[in-house]
Amino acid sequence: MKIGMPRGLLYFHYGALWETFLTELGLEVVTSPPTNKRILDLGVKNCVDDACLPVKLFHGHVEFLKGKVDYIFIPRIVSIKQWEYICPKFCGLPEMVKNTIKDMPKMLLLEHNLHKPRSNFIKGFYQLGASLGFNMKQIKNSYRKAVQSQSTFEEQCKMGVIPWYFNKASLKVSKNREHTITIALIGHPYVLYDHYANMNIISKLQQRGIRVITPEMVLEREIDKHAGMLSKPMFWSFGRKLYGASMYYVKDFSVDGVIYLSAFACGIDSLIAELAERKIRRETNIPIALFNIDEHTGEAGMNTRLDAFIDMVIRRKEHENNLSTHGKYIYSC
Amino acid sequence: MYSGYLGVDVGSVSINLIVMDDDNQVIEKLYLRTEGKPILMLKHGLNLLHKRLPAGFKILSVGVTGSGRNLASLMLGADVVKNEITAHGVAAITFVPDVKTVLEIGGQDSKIIIIRDGVIVDFAMNTVCAAGTGSFLDRQASRLNVPIEEFGIKALKSTTPVRIAGRCAVFAESDMIHKQQLGYNEEDIINGLCEALVRNFINNLGKGKEIIEPIVFQGGVAANVGIKRAFEKLLEKEIYIPKNFDVMGAIGVAILAKEHYEKTGHTSFKGFDVADINYKTKSFECGGCENICEVVQFIADDKVVARWGDRCGKWSNMSKDGVEAKEGEKKAMA
Repeated sequence: MKIGMPRGLLYFHYGALWETFLTELGLEVVTSPPTNKRILDLGVKNCVDDACLPVKLFHGHVEFLKGKVDYIFIPRIVSIKQWEYICPKFCGLPEMVKNTIKDMPKMLLLEHNLHKPRSNFIKGFYQLGASLGFNMKQIKNSYRKAVQSQSTFEEQCKMGVIPWYFNKASLKVSKNREHTITIALIGHPYVLYDHYANMNIISKLQQRGIRVITPEMVLEREIDKHAGMLSKPMFWSFGRKLYGASMYYVKDFSVDGVIYLSAFACGIDSLIAELAERKIRRETNIPIALFNIDEHTGEAGMNTRLDAFIDMVIRRKEHENNLSTHGKYIYSC
Repeated sequence: MYSGYLGVDVGSVSINLIVMDDDNQVIEKLYLRTEGKPILMLKHGLNLLHKRLPAGFKILSVGVTGSGRNLASLMLGADVVKNEITAHGVAAITFVPDVKTVLEIGGQDSKIIIIRDGVIVDFAMNTVCAAGTGSFLDRQASRLNVPIEEFGIKALKSTTPVRIAGRCAVFAESDMIHKQQLGYNEEDIINGLCEALVRNFINNLGKGKEIIEPIVFQGGVAANVGIKRAFEKLLEKEIYIPKNFDVMGAIGVAILAKEHYEKTGHTSFKGFDVADINYKTKSFECGGCENICEVVQFIADDKVVARWGDRCGKWSNMSKDGVEAKEGEKKAMA
């Protein structure tokens, strides 16, 4: 039996978990290729207009897999942490896909709901397995292996590996390293690691000799520590993660600059990006830039902003605490 | 005065060329409309400039900026290729040494640059949408049948403020049409549009930024006195418009080119003769993978000088053998 796995949305976070679980059950998993122009076109054509780009891309991946597989795996993600929620589009994703994509093949649903008891997490896997006729033992075994590979993935991220980085050629860092700068790239995983959607921003930074760090590399307790300083608990998991990671990077990690990459029309970003930007501007001297991505494929706009931001970061770094010839600090704020 | 530095800004609406001497004084300046044909207009500009300069004038080095900077760099053999923000910042700092804020509105983008003690410390540029930039004003002017040069003067004649929605160019346009149909007079509507654009600029780009005097306003739209007045009214501060406000990007990059010359003492400028070379671009869709990249080939006298537009680097890194990819080759590479 062939199961189609759309490479979109939280595949970039739970891909290892889902793929391992299904493979361990003895199913053949067909993952759609990294986003390309055809998938983008399919997604834009087959999705409601007001959704954000990543949701449209997910629809494109589903459309791409249609006809090639027996089932298409669609996660229904209600909550990934106790007392927290995520964007409602994840909760209604199966319905959204079912009602917009014509001749949708059978869907394989997996519910992630950690909002109340923890045992709900494994319950989703039981339901999925049972719907395909597997017994408890088989499901338990596969689940254990799946959780294992997920934690291996997460550990690697924490060690500083940029996840989902298949294109080895672009990993080459430019040789003339005049400056060693580190930039924190903040954004949802499906924005940061979908290289087509974000016009290869990670490679572009690395080719300019810059070290890139992302929220996936920050320890959970650091995120909690920094997000906990807000006047009210953040109940969106990704909001908490992105905010906590940005604050950790500017306060405890002393990065040279922060780039917040947000998907146009993302509700959570519209709030978190703003909040992070204000806090960073008020409390630190670290430059921050906000980049929006949407369906654009022309790269000139992105390149100009990136170049200007890097120029600024380099110049600020060079001038920091340097005495000018006039005898006063060149940089003061 | 027989030598100088060339600065070129290839923007979406205009192509600006300037020649500057050692004291940062502009000797010659050209402001041409791009009209969607950057290569042709740049060649035309070079020819014009060559004729205007005294015989035997030597270009010591060349800098290019603007969204067409890579194209221009290939044509001219530029020494410095810089983004517009750095170029505009450098120019503002040079002419107004204590500048704190730069407002720049061009054809397709608008920017605010915050400068403290001669260093760019922050900037913002309009995001994905190009609403409220020069090309939008151009379009509204032609819709109202008012020459763009008179747009600002008309705005100054306004007596009654008319509020136009400024969040989005499409909203602004429909709001304008509704107000016209209700019988508001043209001057008031034009002034309302200027104020809407400025309000949008300050709310979007100026958000969270400290706008401190001296404020320099540059870019093509600075010619519009209506916009200048709207800025002064909203910010309640004085706005300074430099003499060469419309070519500040080109000046900035010429200053950087001068720095380059002082450091290295050589240039890769190909000379004014490049205007005689037959440059053209051809694009094709690569069939190598599902990305179907639109690859552009830059051709000089039937020789391919460069290729770009591909995501994987297959075409842009290919040895520049000077041969145009043939139809069969494109398939074979796939």
